[in-house]
Amino acid sequence: MSEKFEIVNLDVKPGEVLKVKGKISDDTDRFEFNIGKSSSDLALHFNPRFDESVIVCNSRCSNHWQEEYREHHIPFSKGSEVKILIHFLGDKFQVKLPGGHELEFPNRHDYEKISYLSVKGGFRVTSFKQD
Amino acid sequence: MSCGLVCTNLGIKPGQRFGVKGEITPGAKSFVVNIGKDPANIVLHFNARFDIHGDVKTIVCNSKNNGEWGTEQRETTFPFQEGSTVEIFFVHDKNELTVQLPGHQFKFPNRLGLQAIDYLSEEGDFKLKSLQME
Repeated sequence: MSEKFEIVNLDVKPGEVLKVKGKISDDTDRFEFNIGKSSSDLALHFNPRFDESVIVCNSRCSNHWQEEYREHHIPFSKGSEVKILIHFLGDKFQVKLPGGHELEFPNRHDYEKISYLSVKGGFRVTSFKQD
Repeated sequence: MSCGLVCTNLGIKPGQRFGVKGEITPGAKSFVVNIGKDPANIVLHFNARFDIHGDVKTIVCNSKNNGEWGTEQRETTFPFQEGSTVEIFFVHDKNELTVQLPGHQFKFPNRLGLQAIDYLSEEGDFKLKSLQME
């Protein structure tokens, strides 16, 4: 895995959206987006695994992973350019993927703002937006 | 100054233009965009001063090498307005950086001889909305 792209001191509030655009490497097996408070306290770990044909989502509390949610469909492929939108809806996160696919994940820690984002693995960020 | 965004591991290569877009808050006094390797090695400290430290509508640029500030460079063109959205682009090579502002551009030496830009931070009266790496 490559070094992680990381942003701290973000201030994303309920109702706002994080948009990340980038290129998925041709030869990667996995990449991950992490959002939350810090690398040890995550509201959403979004981890597409091409080697297992699954998107694994989870949360992390004081460095401990919690219960996984698995989505058995990846609506994008290696080598493609994608835009991923994460809507922070207060009680949950809605992740909008290419082709009109979406998945939802609860805001398990009741965070009132998102201040941390990291992107790891085979995904090169070309644009980041907060709206 | 407020605690602003910090981005790491950007991996921006020479010749690769990148831009930061954000809102200058109403009543802004000053904002800063730092780019470089890490907090102690800043190839460009870009400080737009609306009215602070005795400077009015002046851009003050500097560099930091192993925690030591260099010599300031001042630009008198000041194409910023408080309460507005602005986009600033940067492109670098091993000798210098080019800063592209609305309707104006200027150069600043790459005193650190930095190849990749991995670190970006912002401070002050600026709320970053987007980051583009072309």
